[in-house]
Amino acid sequence: MQRASVPYFLILPSFLLTAAIILWPLKEIVSLSLHDVNRFGMLKDFIGLEHYRSLFANPDFIAATWRTLFWTAAVVIGTLIVSVPIALILNEDFYGRGIARILIMLPWAISLTMTAIVWRWALNGESGMLNSALRDLGIIDTNIQWLAEASTAFPMQILIGILVSVPFTVTIFLGGLSSVPEDLYEAAATEGAGRWDQFRLITLPLLKPFINIAFVLNTIYVFNSFPIIWATTQGGPANSTDILVTYLYKTAFRMGRLGEAAAVSLIMFAILIVFTILYVRLAMREEKQ
Amino acid sequence: MSKKLKRSLLFWLFLSPIVVVILFPYAVMAISSLKSATEVLNPTWWPEELHWQNFPEMWRTSGIAPALVNSLYVSGMSTALTILVSIPAAYALSRYQFAGRNAFRQFLLISQMLSPIVLVIGLFRLVAGAGMIDSLNVLVIIYTAFNIAFCVWMLQSYFSTIPRDLEEAAWMEGASRTRTLFTVFLPLAVPAMVVTAIFTFINAWNEFVIALTMLRTEGSYTLPIRVFSLVAGRYTVDWHYVMAAAFVASVPVAILFAWLQRYLVRGLSIGAVK
Amino acid sequence: METAAYNKGNKPLMTISRKLGLVAGLSLLAFSGGAFADTVRVTIAEYSKGTGPYFEEAAKAFEAANPDTKIQIEVVPWDSLQQKLTTDISAGANADLSIIGTRWLLDYVKEGIIAPLDENITPDFKARFIDTFLTPSVMDGKVYGLPIAASARAMYYNKDIFAKAGIDTPPATWADFKTSAEKIKALGTETYGFGLQGKEIETDVYFYYGLWANGGEIVKDGKSGLDSKAAIDTAKLYKSFIDGGLTQPGVTSYSREDVQNLFKQGKVATVITAPFLSGQIKTEAPNLNYGVAPIPAGPDGGKGTYGVTDSIVLFENSKNKEAAWKFLDFLFTTEQRTKFDKIEGFLPVNAEEAKDPYFADNADLKVFTSLLPDARFAPVIPGWEDIAQTTSGAIQKIYLGQGEIESTLKEAAAKINETLK
Repeated sequence: MQRASVPYFLILPSFLLTAAIILWPLKEIVSLSLHDVNRFGMLKDFIGLEHYRSLFANPDFIAATWRTLFWTAAVVIGTLIVSVPIALILNEDFYGRGIARILIMLPWAISLTMTAIVWRWALNGESGMLNSALRDLGIIDTNIQWLAEASTAFPMQILIGILVSVPFTVTIFLGGLSSVPEDLYEAAATEGAGRWDQFRLITLPLLKPFINIAFVLNTIYVFNSFPIIWATTQGGPANSTDILVTYLYKTAFRMGRLGEAAAVSLIMFAILIVFTILYVRLAMREEKQ
Repeated sequence: MSKKLKRSLLFWLFLSPIVVVILFPYAVMAISSLKSATEVLNPTWWPEELHWQNFPEMWRTSGIAPALVNSLYVSGMSTALTILVSIPAAYALSRYQFAGRNAFRQFLLISQMLSPIVLVIGLFRLVAGAGMIDSLNVLVIIYTAFNIAFCVWMLQSYFSTIPRDLEEAAWMEGASRTRTLFTVFLPLAVPAMVVTAIFTFINAWNEFVIALTMLRTEGSYTLPIRVFSLVAGRYTVDWHYVMAAAFVASVPVAILFAWLQRYLVRGLSIGAVK
Repeated sequence: METAAYNKGNKPLMTISRKLGLVAGLSLLAFSGGAFADTVRVTIAEYSKGTGPYFEEAAKAFEAANPDTKIQIEVVPWDSLQQKLTTDISAGANADLSIIGTRWLLDYVKEGIIAPLDENITPDFKARFIDTFLTPSVMDGKVYGLPIAASARAMYYNKDIFAKAGIDTPPATWADFKTSAEKIKALGTETYGFGLQGKEIETDVYFYYGLWANGGEIVKDGKSGLDSKAAIDTAKLYKSFIDGGLTQPGVTSYSREDVQNLFKQGKVATVITAPFLSGQIKTEAPNLNYGVAPIPAGPDGGKGTYGVTDSIVLFENSKNKEAAWKFLDFLFTTEQRTKFDKIEGFLPVNAEEAKDPYFADNADLKVFTSLLPDARFAPVIPGWEDIAQTTSGAIQKIYLGQGEIESTLKEAAAKINETLK
């Protein structure tokens, strides 16, 4: 075997493992989405794109799609805006840095489902601890029914989404920042570059690949994120906080329409692929320039 | 006031809003876990009486102890395996040019895109077909597979920041490629490995849907299944126990991070070799 | 692959990846456990923290009497039950026995995956049951499941709040109820007369209480009753409670458990729910002074409560049908049923069991049992969950004031009629 084959051997185990969990299920899902299927996944007649057609004719599905895009954009961008300054601070040397790092990391230590359940509990209108805290502090005098309507529930869900995405993002950035050699800053400082210039000229370019990782992966994870919305409102009231994943879950397991659910998941898959290809293209072009 | 002290105060001031929001659910959890069964439904911030016995009671009745062991095993093994598999792949991506390099990267990314909720149906058929249901080791392999994409990508980005001349210098001195990898290259990449380790560990620690689908018997249940089953659809929920359990479940992760975060330090890399 | 061809410098790396492959392969092989032929697997949905321990104990007792059979109890949270069953069944890896909601039974029976039990049911065995609870599991004259859990709904009311507002008796009709709720509102203590559920499972059922009182039906002659006059009247009635501030604010954020909790805290004066609330109150709010009353009647005396059973079913693909039946037989002995229903706070399904003083002399349970003649069980129609979803969505819109009552209900009824076809 030639030297040229070395990289292929290096990537082989990871390729095999990933392929094993993705390719077979993908094949299954595609075939589910093209057949009339009973509620236990038994294929009946081949019906082509019928599931897709009925989905696009369904206003609840269309609404959930737009809401998903908004949800993803809001959480991902919000997370980036919050995480960059936090990572920069946590990368500096100051008293209590270790503690600060652990604190920022805490939301990650509890499973998403549990976090969402605790929030649901805290957001309860009459006996939730958020209202009780806000009342004690004199900020409000009548209870806010946070989860009763989409207009208050959805912003809270986005906030929770941001909160739980921050630890992951900050950790990536901290890893990335640790690759920036100290002497670069020293050199820049001796040449009279200010803090802002140092950030713009040294930190940001070196951090860029890590921002890309965080952006792309957060987009994928948030787009597919199920527990926050499910545990707080189950997409309700009257589907007004449904995103595609919660819609998918209801379609698959409540209504038992597995074929339609498979179609939803492939549409979601397609949206993500298109997005990522576009983004990776853009990011790469910039890198080359 | 020293410069560092001033800086510290400023930073803490800046961090305080987010810290408050982060601590809020924790405070809710901590306080609720210490309330009595009759008080836990009331939104009081100062319990009339601290019920420390909730913790031992929860420990005894919820079967959380074996679940803790299972979760530690699954998370630890997945983390080790993921890093072991990801390092060679990331090394190949950052140090070799080869046909299909970009395709492989994109394939990894695509593997993350299918919603796990549907994926799990197909995955389960695969596992059931092979007769491997109710095995923690199957979970380890699935978790590893799911985490490879992030780890390879993260490690590769980091590896690319390590200057080639460091390795080349070592080769000149007669060290083999492998030796160089272990003595020069990987020690430089510790922060990235720490990030991937944390990521994998936590994902495995908190994963619920796949675990619930693949596992069947009490003896093999992981922590999220135990904690979640305390709340999911029971006619009544012992919130004080739930909160205590959630609290206990988060402790190992906090310890892990407390231990690992010190390796996330700037300049550790290059300075160490000079 | 030939090791000899490897470039020397890369050798250890190759070894690592090969070892990895080996480790992965080995662990896949070594840990592939399979079920034994004489093992009966039982999927159990978890009602409370007592469910798992009860079934483990029952399994042990059964195994002691039948040493050649092993019972494997697999406890699943209710919220994940449908998902678990779907994945299990679709992979052919389902258990032998499982608890399911009787309202889903028709969907399962239609797919031919559930085995009828008639072969094994002797007249003696059948005589153990109270008929009302066995009937819902009978389809096309065949028994497809046994009622593992049964309950009905009645109105819990807070006696202290009622007394403070100067009311002596629980409301007999919805008109009375409204007057009472207004009196309670007049107390001005952030206490609400009508604890109204508007979120998640059984939101639709909470609406049906009024619907039945007004003489309506969920499904009549194969058509949805949601666009009937009774339904419209009920929606108007409930909406008037909401608009009048007689319910807790933000009803669409309160699930059944949330409303029960408000009741335990004395924040709502009434809640319509199942008998298990009595047991919860005993441990969580022991000082609550409450009573149980029938659900208020309509203007023409119409009334109705919701009767629910969950069935334990035997799957068609089970390889241990005989042993599984034996275990069922054991679970439905008077002794086992009594134990289970005491732990969970359900109604007795066994006629012998009902004579146990624990049930016979319990004041709360007596009310529930007295309502059984008027109990409606989920109608035997396909797509129950679909219909529940549509109904709940429409009602939530009305509660929120986002939809005009008549058109919203008509639209929902049309959608349900599609499902019923």
